Amino acid sequence: MTDLIARFQQLAPQLLSTPALSVLMTLIAYFVGVSLFRKLKQPVWCPPVLIAAVLLAIMLSLLSISFEEYRTGANWLSFLLGPATVALGVPLYQQFHHIRAMWRPILATVPLAATVAVLYALVIAWALGASTEVLASLAPKSVTAPIAIGINQQIGGSVSLLMGSLLVTGVVASLFVDWLSRWLNISDDRLIGLTLGINGHAIGTVRAFEISATAGAFSSLGMGLTGVFTALLLPFALDTLNVL
Amino acid sequence: MPLLRGFLTLLLFLILGEAMRLLFLLPISGGIIGMLLLTFWAMVSGGISEDLALASQKLIAILILLIMPGVVGVFFLGGHFDGQWLAITLALLAGTFLSVLTTLLILRVQVRPDQEASHD
Repeated sequence: MTDLIARFQQLAPQLLSTPALSVLMTLIAYFVGVSLFRKLKQPVWCPPVLIAAVLLAIMLSLLSISFEEYRTGANWLSFLLGPATVALGVPLYQQFHHIRAMWRPILATVPLAATVAVLYALVIAWALGASTEVLASLAPKSVTAPIAIGINQQIGGSVSLLMGSLLVTGVVASLFVDWLSRWLNISDDRLIGLTLGINGHAIGTVRAFEISATAGAFSSLGMGLTGVFTALLLPFALDTLNVL
Repeated sequence: MPLLRGFLTLLLFLILGEAMRLLFLLPISGGIIGMLLLTFWAMVSGGISEDLALASQKLIAILILLIMPGVVGVFFLGGHFDGQWLAITLALLAGTFLSVLTTLLILRVQVRPDQEASHD
């Protein structure tokens, strides 16, 4: 009996030697998180990924599994981010016809807006004495997660802080677009959609689809173009300026 | 099988992007280069096969699951960024507020409501 108890205590570390336990816990947290999100009537301020991440963190600490141990197993899932990033090319291509309809404002706005989204955050953080690690983690904050992780691999910084920044940015961007568009008297769904996608990446795009299909399409386009523009220019800009 | 065929195409573009990154020393991740190559390929060849559309749709649908290992790390940062949380919070809140405001203003200057009808 004591042997059994001793073996039981060894169970979690031994099971962690395969990716199965990490992947299983991630899947459980994902499904519970998504269904809780629906039960809560899909609040903008609390996206499913946040609920799922909180559940997963609770599970890990209850089973006293360290984040490093978990992440080794979960790499198996993270690997799929590579092909998933490539997959984003499909909706980007499918949304492309919207550019033809409104190419002038879109092409003039995206580079400028994507640049200031990075600059405002970096200047504020830098002025308040943030370290270069923090600056690198914050820089891709308005870019959709898979692309942002791709940028992170190149410029460095903490992936976890980046993911937290993405969450906060997506949520508050959705709120700010609601307030500011009302304040500025903007009711054109195309403009609201573009703004949501450029500033609030996937979380903003979910909000845009709640407004209308047009807003959603323009938001997807804004998100895709912002991701591409930032991914292409940010690493080069930081390299050239030699800032990070 | 269509799903796997689509997945094969995605992996092919991923490896192609990774190879280009290594060959030309690009500071852009292989996945992003692969995405651009795929978009470019779709424009040149005039479309996307059903297999590829299916595989992409399935992968994009589970993106939340794929980023969770990164997101959960936020709760395990510990004291690593102590003393910098004010800078981080203000950069995110004020920075996002300003960039949303800027984007809306840039768009409003260019797209006048009364021009919309004649514009298209």
